[in-house]
Amino acid sequence: MIERRIGPLTLADLVRYAGAGGDFNPIHFDGDVAQAAGFPGPFAHGLLTAGILSGVVTELGRLRRYQVRYVAQVWPGDVLVCSAEGSGSADGAYDLTVEREAPDGTREVVLRGSAEVEA
Amino acid sequence: MADARKAGYTWPSYVIRVERGKVVEFARALHFQNPIFHDLEAARAQGYADLPAPPTFSAVSQHYGPAQSLDDIGVDLRRVLAGGAEWEYLADVVAGDELTVTPRVAAIERKQGGRGTMDVITMESEFADEKGQPVLRLRTTILEILGEKA
Repeated sequence: MIERRIGPLTLADLVRYAGAGGDFNPIHFDGDVAQAAGFPGPFAHGLLTAGILSGVVTELGRLRRYQVRYVAQVWPGDVLVCSAEGSGSADGAYDLTVEREAPDGTREVVLRGSAEVEA
Repeated sequence: MADARKAGYTWPSYVIRVERGKVVEFARALHFQNPIFHDLEAARAQGYADLPAPPTFSAVSQHYGPAQSLDDIGVDLRRVLAGGAEWEYLADVVAGDELTVTPRVAAIERKQGGRGTMDVITMESEFADEKGQPVLRLRTTILEILGEKA
């Protein structure tokens, strides 16, 4: 089992990812747009969380398969707690989780996934 | 809302070049600690011919032209949430590679969920190398939220 803490994420991290990845949906950096869509403010791209987790997974070996499902949003100020645990089903198979830890101490699972790395 | 008749729709193929600078920028934006994504010697020590593409590097294909516009299938971007994604890595992809991307709509399904009525749209992209061999398959699910909770 490995666990890595990354963050706290800032609005600048979201903007930087928009530039790196090319997804400029304003819901991820413009508060007015996010609120008009019914959210309290801008939230992170799912692929930002998935991408951060993928960097942790590369420490385990060469990836063969990587799968993620987004279950809750990530907000500026959150620390991401990324963990990978051997699934026991096969060599090189891992169950993945990302939790967000908010400034007020709230902890919530935001992503669940799985990976297969070259054994 | 998503046009259900667009299931099976294929966007025109396009080419992306995996550039070293973009790999470094992308890995830094994701807070990577692993040196193989910015240090050529570290990458070569792991058997890579150049800096490897990060696992979710397929995201940068959005920089390359309007090929995969959601407008084409009637989806309102303001109502879209990411559902999930799956990547299948068939061969190493490293800086200097040119990949041909072929995206298609695999399925459009109307569902009732915790957020009310939604269309679940599944898209698949194949990334092929210069010889036409597939090196990466990506399956992405997005949710178009259509209405209030019942």
